[in-house]
Amino acid sequence: MSLHEHAERTTTRDAPIIEVRNLQTAFFTEKETIRAVDGISFDIRPGETVGIVGESGSGKSVTARSLMRLVDAPGRILEGSSVRFTHLETVREYASTFAGRTVDLSALEETYDPVDLFERNEIDATPAAFGYEHAHEVSLADIVAAGYGDELGIVDEGDCIFITDGTPDSPDAIADGFIEITRLSGEAQRRIRGGRIAMVFQDPLTSLNPVYTVGNQIKEALRLHQGIKGDAATREATALLEAVGIPDARRRVNEYPHQFSGGMRQRAVIAMALACDPELLICDEPTTALDVTIQAQILDLLAELQETRDLAMMFITHDMGVIAEIADRVNVMYAGEVVETADVNTLFADPSHPYTRGLLRSIPGQQTGDRLETIEGNVPTPNEPATSCRFAPRCPEAIDECETVHPVSVPVDEDEPDHTAACLHCPTQLSTDQAVEMHRRRNATRNGGDLE
Amino acid sequence: MSRWRYFFKRLLLSVPVLFLTMTFIFVLLRMGPVDPVAARLGPQATGAEAERMRERLGLNDPLWEQYLDFVTSFLTFDLGQSWVVFSGTDVTTIVAITGPPTLWLGFWAILLPLFIGIPLGFYAGLRPNSGGDYLASVSGILWQAMPNFWLCIMILAVLRQTHGGGWLGFDWYTFGPEIRSITGTPDLAFLSINSIETGLITVPLLTGVDWGALAVDIKLILPPALVLGSASMAAELRIGRTAILETINSNYVVTAKAKGLKDRVIIWKHVFRNAMIPLVPVITNEAFLLIGGSVIVESIFNINGLGNAFFQAMTQGDLPLAGALLFIFTLIIIFLNILQDLLYTLIDPRVGYDR
Repeated sequence: MSLHEHAERTTTRDAPIIEVRNLQTAFFTEKETIRAVDGISFDIRPGETVGIVGESGSGKSVTARSLMRLVDAPGRILEGSSVRFTHLETVREYASTFAGRTVDLSALEETYDPVDLFERNEIDATPAAFGYEHAHEVSLADIVAAGYGDELGIVDEGDCIFITDGTPDSPDAIADGFIEITRLSGEAQRRIRGGRIAMVFQDPLTSLNPVYTVGNQIKEALRLHQGIKGDAATREATALLEAVGIPDARRRVNEYPHQFSGGMRQRAVIAMALACDPELLICDEPTTALDVTIQAQILDLLAELQETRDLAMMFITHDMGVIAEIADRVNVMYAGEVVETADVNTLFADPSHPYTRGLLRSIPGQQTGDRLETIEGNVPTPNEPATSCRFAPRCPEAIDECETVHPVSVPVDEDEPDHTAACLHCPTQLSTDQAVEMHRRRNATRNGGDLE
Repeated sequence: MSRWRYFFKRLLLSVPVLFLTMTFIFVLLRMGPVDPVAARLGPQATGAEAERMRERLGLNDPLWEQYLDFVTSFLTFDLGQSWVVFSGTDVTTIVAITGPPTLWLGFWAILLPLFIGIPLGFYAGLRPNSGGDYLASVSGILWQAMPNFWLCIMILAVLRQTHGGGWLGFDWYTFGPEIRSITGTPDLAFLSINSIETGLITVPLLTGVDWGALAVDIKLILPPALVLGSASMAAELRIGRTAILETINSNYVVTAKAKGLKDRVIIWKHVFRNAMIPLVPVITNEAFLLIGGSVIVESIFNINGLGNAFFQAMTQGDLPLAGALLFIFTLIIIFLNILQDLLYTLIDPRVGYDR
């Protein structure tokens, strides 16, 4: 690695590789509309592991599938959602390959002012939906990425690469920009899948095709994204299997999935996901179907691979123990919303949302009495826009206002902007009445008022 | 155990099946209600002549010797002679005449569903709950619900109507290759085979194909084959649809999608091969049914085939003919079973894997 590249890497170190903003994925059934993911936002940085925890039905897997654009009908990502892939090399490559779908936002910014755009009727959202308090903080990129650009006539339907610093005419000189994943389609979308963002699924026993050899399935990805064929592909596949710790890889590469044990299969699935050197690896409960010793091995393997390849990782699980071991930051999800975000140490030491506290208490061995403490009841189906706290019916600390005010994500403490929770008891430095008033005001902004 | 060892084991297993069938046929012939001598000479035959016939047929030998004789002659395809239906004719000759039309009919009755039923089923499965899916599924059920004998007659009636340009606007008789009758036995003489003498042995050599005759034979067999294959066509359609739906929602298809594969590759490579696995036994089992079912279709369409011969042999008590045909049917079924195992072995690597 040259010095220059190294310098570039360290400067972009803290810049997120993927930014999720106000992601909403809903399933439209005859009976109801299920808002499986209801306006969540988070970032993932290179080399970082972001954990997502929550009970079954809290929207973890739908989040992962939304990022991969694997949500099938009747499910759909709603307008206003934005998932930006900001990996610079990929943006440059896309800008040169898909020149026709590239938009120079810096040029557009001179003609359009976001504040004016907000006053037009086409935008059915408010600054709060973009995560800001005032309209002047919202950038044109936010508006366009969220999909409002089409209605305002700023961008065309197929446009999905947005350059904010640089010009599409010289792709190599682009300094900043992003690929809007929610607007991808066709070839551009397929190149992201597997090539840039790879995914490891929950059940290794069924996620490999039983009628093709493991090697065949790895080589398929190699040929698709890297153009490696024949003997070279076989060698590469063998090397990958070795890298994930499969002994005797030379023979194993020609074996069928049913000849592998569960742990071996998950290793093979990971090898397949890594085949194309992705920037982001999404793991959807990769250890849930495995026994505990194998689980530990797989977690070690993932941590090791992350270190050697500088992978960004999104790790979904319902197991707090696994999260404590692997994640750097944690998003706690409940009924389609992120209710608390914090780095892993803070979350375990100082959980702020009653739901997080409940989850931590229900880890076997953590309870105070003889009986394992649990959170009573089940996750409700989020089938209507939230007008109250969705956790309130199960919450031991609920107050009357929880039934009427929808809590928004706010910093728990003024000193810790990275630790946020969506609870009326937060921020903690305010009295409850003041906090409730703040949430109410933020909600009002959200539902259309404050446009200064 | 490797796949091919498993296949070889299945191959060996067909040997006991073959012997069991032969024993059953032997018991049926020797201990059945029909006395061979009476069948040959008439019920009144007695005395020296009957005794000579008993001796000639080997009925005075010990039973085990008779059984050995019977098994060896069957295994060497010396199937004996017909008693009643084609009195005195060798069974092998009868089979040589009646076999090809039935095989021709069976071939098309398997091929048509294969190439209509399965594609339609896959089409419906790939577009579940669409208009095309409902149309295919409903017509599949309708098609299956119509009994063969009724369907035969309806098709004949409709096709006859078209003679001389009826109300359907086209004439089946002159449509494509011209035929004089819509029923009858295809003569299957489209292959011209010349033999070359090479001194010791005679090698049959295919020297040409009469495409016109082939077209006539195909046209003649299509209506009965369509009827005979109707049930399997509908079954294959429905199972094909379910198989596709099941496969397309499986995790490895999602994995393939997450890999960034094109839809076309996902369907042709990852979905079709897996969807074929449940279809293999359906196809081969339907082929078994064709043998029994062909009796009705053959008699309605006036095809002089094996089904017809078997039916007559059974009703007229021609036990050697019936037994020999039963033996041939068994051979066909064993062959189909082996074919099924072979297909399984080729499609599914998990076959024969046990830990």
